[in-house]
Amino acid sequence: MEIADTYYSKDEYVETASGNKVSRQTVLCGSQNIVLNGKVVVQTGAIIRGDLANVRTGRYCVISKNAVIRPPYKQFSKGIAFFPMHIGDHVFIGEGAVVSASSIGSFVYIGKNAIIGRRCALKDCCIIEDGAVLPPETTVASYMRYTAKGTIEGGQGNPNFVPAAMQDQMVEYTKSFYEHFLRNPQAG
Amino acid sequence: MANFMQNSVVNYACTCGLLNPITKLFFCRHCLKLRCGFCVCHEVDSHFCSNCLENIPSSEAKHKKNCCTNCFNCPCCQHTLSARATMVVVPKKTDETTKEGEGDSAKAVTRKMYYLSCLGCRWTSRDVGIPDQTVATGAWPENECSYQTRFNALLEYYQAVVLQDKQEKQEYIRRKTPKTHKFPSLTDRTGLTVSMIRRQIGWPDKNTQKAKPVNISPSLATDELDELPADIFTQPINLRNVTNIKQRHGQPSDQPFNVNKLYPQRRILWIKRSLRCRQCEHNVIKPEYHPTSVKYRIQLFANYHVPDVLLVQNEQILRAGQSSYIVLKLTNPTLHDVSITIKELPTLAEELQMIEEFKLACKIKENTATSAAAESLKSITSSPSLTSTTLSRQASLIEEPRLVEQKSNVKLHENELKFVLNQRDDSSEFDEDVQTPREEPEFIIWRKSNRASIRLNFTTDESLQAGDMVKVGFTMEYTYVNTVSNTPTTHTLSARVFIDAGKIADE
Repeated sequence: MEIADTYYSKDEYVETASGNKVSRQTVLCGSQNIVLNGKVVVQTGAIIRGDLANVRTGRYCVISKNAVIRPPYKQFSKGIAFFPMHIGDHVFIGEGAVVSASSIGSFVYIGKNAIIGRRCALKDCCIIEDGAVLPPETTVASYMRYTAKGTIEGGQGNPNFVPAAMQDQMVEYTKSFYEHFLRNPQAG
Repeated sequence: MANFMQNSVVNYACTCGLLNPITKLFFCRHCLKLRCGFCVCHEVDSHFCSNCLENIPSSEAKHKKNCCTNCFNCPCCQHTLSARATMVVVPKKTDETTKEGEGDSAKAVTRKMYYLSCLGCRWTSRDVGIPDQTVATGAWPENECSYQTRFNALLEYYQAVVLQDKQEKQEYIRRKTPKTHKFPSLTDRTGLTVSMIRRQIGWPDKNTQKAKPVNISPSLATDELDELPADIFTQPINLRNVTNIKQRHGQPSDQPFNVNKLYPQRRILWIKRSLRCRQCEHNVIKPEYHPTSVKYRIQLFANYHVPDVLLVQNEQILRAGQSSYIVLKLTNPTLHDVSITIKELPTLAEELQMIEEFKLACKIKENTATSAAAESLKSITSSPSLTSTTLSRQASLIEEPRLVEQKSNVKLHENELKFVLNQRDDSSEFDEDVQTPREEPEFIIWRKSNRASIRLNFTTDESLQAGDMVKVGFTMEYTYVNTVSNTPTTHTLSARVFIDAGKIADE
């Protein structure tokens, strides 16, 4: 099924020269530390905590409504330190997800209301199911699916959990998401 | 392409008759057929640990019992354990009488010590009394099982039994096969070795000694059992201290009853699979070895070769026995123009014939395979090596083809819809959209580079009830340019496509 067009009003979203579409109703703390590499959609209610550490995203990322991007911290004997967070290309972050991963590869799908604990590493082409909770410092390898039950399934070449053509699928999905996220023509 | 996180509304029938979304299908370039997960042979390509992402060669993996040496799982919640560092004040060994701490740095040193901790359930290796280690990895004590030696003896014994069996079988085959010639091959004539003479006479080879299983003491059943402890009837059980099934299965050698007997478990390795067509034994998927790589060396996904059908939208209210339409978007993923014909599904008789043809093709392949196997068996019997029998590939089983379960419950209006889809051009994305007016058939709504939207008219069956799913099925014939050989050849292939168009509306 093709993604249906969603329209936004001109007042609600800001479109930058590089094609980022960022809602005005977001909390972007420390915006000088946030780099969106182009054609990124940040929807209403999202929070990006750039004040804690740098946040970089690749191209064609989708940060859905009410998602929270929060750089991870590590506890040392003398206080805590925050680490920068890197997100690859073609990453989808679902509604209400809380993400404190230290690195997210490319072509990653994070479902609705998923919680990614601090300093997790999500490798390329992995899936986090809706409502999954990742304890801190979890590694999800490529072509793995972290289920809501808390198990890891899949592996490259196993067609039952993550599609073998995950890379193409995510490219297609995030691109068509971007292309079907349009400014309302009537409202001007 | 369909969204992989939802149930797909467009399904393709695999050659075996099962329905799958295009994302789960493969296309064998050699048989020119669609293959689903059941029509391919799954093979282990490489082993790796999903936590430390280290590639482990298969022989080493076997040696390590398919476990990672560095990573542990929590015995409580099966999550990964991570090593925590703590500063511990260690009294100096030279001065054993001094009490530790007290701020006396001359008599005590602080050392970094590590323990394992689960960040999912707060279990730590200190809970079960495993002493802290000075290094983070590699020094954790092995959880020894009391039956280990017994198991090892049994393993050794049965391996010897298998070897002996194999030797006897080979001896038997060698005796039975008639000697065709004194010198089976030219090389034998030139280099007549001692072992060859022995073989000609029929004596066993000197260097391969007979495997003889060492005797083991058989296990004995006993009638005497320990009495249950008295307090099992009197003391209330604290279920928090009792392990659950999952925890016991995680430690199969001793299956502890109490949680204080749980030890860190080595993490089991994961595999990358390569998939092989069962009919022609060519790979359809072969991943790269490196665990972090997401690339493939061979990737024959169906959506690289078969036109992709996407249901765009259905604004029509569907009612039983009335005509309606759906809008489909077709994409040509190949680098050649494709002409597509959409027609009715094959009838039952045609479908049965297709299955027969498929079976026949498999049978031919099987016959050639068995003759090849017989050929290789001959060469085995002339060579004394034992391993060669295990090396010969087993003939793979072929998924029994069946009728497609899902039936279309609509009647298409047009008998044939014929149109051409242009080749894929990656640069067209950046081109200006130039509309070249051309004569289009009526059913084509929109067209851009390698994509086109078409309108498919149909009448739903009278017998449908409100709430029933309307299933639109059709055969899509498409031309396919095969570039496997040097000279590209064009074939006309067909795929059976089933679409869930929506439910019949309530009256």
